[in-house]
Amino acid sequence: MNETAPIREHGDADQAMRREPFVFTGTAREYFGIWLVNVLLTILTLGIYSAWAKVRRMRFFHGSTRLGDASFEYHAKPGQILLGRIIALALIAAYNLALYFAPGFSIVLVIGFFLALPYLVMRGLRFRARVTSYRNVRFDFEGGYWGALLAYVAGGVLTWGTLGVLAPVASRWIWSYTLGNLTYGGRPIDCDPRLEKLFGQWWLPAILFGGGGVLFLAGSLAFGYLYGSQLSDLVGGGGGVGTLTAGVLALIYVGFLPLILLYVVVGLLYHAGSRNVAVSETVIDGRHALASTLGRWRYVWISLSNLVATVLSLGLLRPWAAVRMARYLAACTALDTVGALDSYIDTITDEGAAVGAEYMDVEGLDFGF
Amino acid sequence: MAFEPKVAGKWHAARSGRDIAAELFLTDDGDVAVRDAQTGAILVRSARSDLLISRRVGSVPRRIGFSDDSVFVCRDNDGVDRLLADVVGRGSRWLVEIERFRPRLIVLVAAVVLLAVGVYRFAVPLLVEVAVLATPEIVPELMSKGALASLDETAFSESTLPEQRRARIATDFLELAALTPRGASRFDLQFRSGGSIGPNAFALPNGTIVVTDELVDLAGSDDELVLGVLGHEIGHVEHDHSLRQLYRAAGVVGLIMVIGGDVGSGVQDLLVQGSALLALSYSRRQERDADRYSVEIMARAGRDPAAIARFFELMRARFGDAGNGAILTTHPATGERIEETRRYAAEIARSGGVDPSN
Repeated sequence: MNETAPIREHGDADQAMRREPFVFTGTAREYFGIWLVNVLLTILTLGIYSAWAKVRRMRFFHGSTRLGDASFEYHAKPGQILLGRIIALALIAAYNLALYFAPGFSIVLVIGFFLALPYLVMRGLRFRARVTSYRNVRFDFEGGYWGALLAYVAGGVLTWGTLGVLAPVASRWIWSYTLGNLTYGGRPIDCDPRLEKLFGQWWLPAILFGGGGVLFLAGSLAFGYLYGSQLSDLVGGGGGVGTLTAGVLALIYVGFLPLILLYVVVGLLYHAGSRNVAVSETVIDGRHALASTLGRWRYVWISLSNLVATVLSLGLLRPWAAVRMARYLAACTALDTVGALDSYIDTITDEGAAVGAEYMDVEGLDFGF
Repeated sequence: MAFEPKVAGKWHAARSGRDIAAELFLTDDGDVAVRDAQTGAILVRSARSDLLISRRVGSVPRRIGFSDDSVFVCRDNDGVDRLLADVVGRGSRWLVEIERFRPRLIVLVAAVVLLAVGVYRFAVPLLVEVAVLATPEIVPELMSKGALASLDETAFSESTLPEQRRARIATDFLELAALTPRGASRFDLQFRSGGSIGPNAFALPNGTIVVTDELVDLAGSDDELVLGVLGHEIGHVEHDHSLRQLYRAAGVVGLIMVIGGDVGSGVQDLLVQGSALLALSYSRRQERDADRYSVEIMARAGRDPAAIARFFELMRARFGDAGNGAILTTHPATGERIEETRRYAAEIARSGGVDPSN
């Protein structure tokens, strides 16, 4: 593993720190064709092509992300992805069917699920790292089961249990687990976001959400007071389970819409802030420091306008939106390097299976690197 | 050779992060080799068939792996395609060609839209039919046992209706069920005290039909009204509505997950929520089907086909009319159901297939 040492000494002639920006070179025109053909062939093959589509999509995004004079590369093979997808879908289906058919065992099943989740996440992160390379040298992920249990299960319980007050603690676990366990060419990557900095990104979204929530509550109480009788005519009458469900649904879809929007905005704000903190405290091999300078409101704006544009264009602007976001994320990320970036040696021999990664994909667990 | 085709790029020794400016070229005997761009020294050489050439994706750099694990990387995709035309797969070149941003992509856009609509309108219903046919008997059995057990635990308690009233309704019910293709033996009527669920009746997919005491009480002495409601529930069972709804929901969510591989997580969430709204419209259609079924089977049993309309009227008198068929309801509006069932009952009576007054 330490074959790198002599080469590094040789490569360290230039000791001045310099900033290498990440650049996303892909264009929306280029991605539009890839995306459209992916969708078309996926439909025509009843979903089987989706594995090939994913590989093309990931190769486009990795390959279009440059750092210095080289691009990232994605190496997963469609066969691996397809197998992983089939197994992941079978697991999800089996789990849901078991919940449906044997409601008596639901507690056992749910506990089993939460015990299996860290394992899937761990394997997924490892697969993703191992199929990613930069300058012909692959990443690896060395996180274990307990770290994932802490970050995802305990972190989730902590966040929801305290209604988000301790969310920064969970973010710290998640970021240091996902980024801090990566290695590049056998050399460690450290990520230790400080808690006070994460809390520094937390109070603005927290105040917004708290304030917005109080406003919403006051508003709906006033509304209920003024129009309560008409509302109950509209919702409560008619009887039967059907109308009851309708009333609840109406409340969820219409009444809570502003609250959901607020929740989304606040979540995006916090995500951007915590990414800045965590990425900026990530150091590769003890000497190359990453930096992230997302504008939080700008990130919110890009996310939401992307969503609106995609929906209004019936999906056709999705390639543009995806490229726009990738461009912004890359432009706000940089690497402060001391010495050469090319003095690493690949140490990966086996990629492992894609089940975990596909499970994360299907369930929408996403960790951008 | 006066003109020597070559491609400029970078070369990495096996596993090395360091690259060397290099050129890829064809040797005189047809092998592929890489030489140092400055010194001209040959770095690696392989037979064409031993190369691992990455498929072309947009303008992403191409990667050409040699048998000694060294790699040549270059941005000149066209150059690689020209130089190694016979090794680069045809399939991938065809793919790259149609992916190009040209006006003809509009045709593909139209194809995607048509296919998406087609899949939703035709393929999903077809797959649902196939799945319903392929479902072994044990599945609805298990589903129903589980559902009834959890309802018994959470909401229901034992029925407190008088024994002879229950027996009377059960006899009428079996008479009605005997008119279905699957026969009376496949149905099972259960009485429960509804608790928080109140006046209601529902069908489980294995043919178990549960009616609450509250509904029977609401009907007063009108047993035929209860029977009309039971006819509606028999319709749900006969049409496999629960299974259909389950498969349909699974199919639509699967469709979104698989095809929407890259629509973004926000849009994916919106689609799932949207499909829940569409599922409600599907549910309303099933309710209308079951209403019609009740009218038909009651007519065939020689009872009042509009009995179920009397039940709706009772419900309306008791709870008012709700929703007016709004998009957020699982059931159609009560007024609409009364009109429709009465109209259909009259139509059946007129057509003389069965004389309801008989």
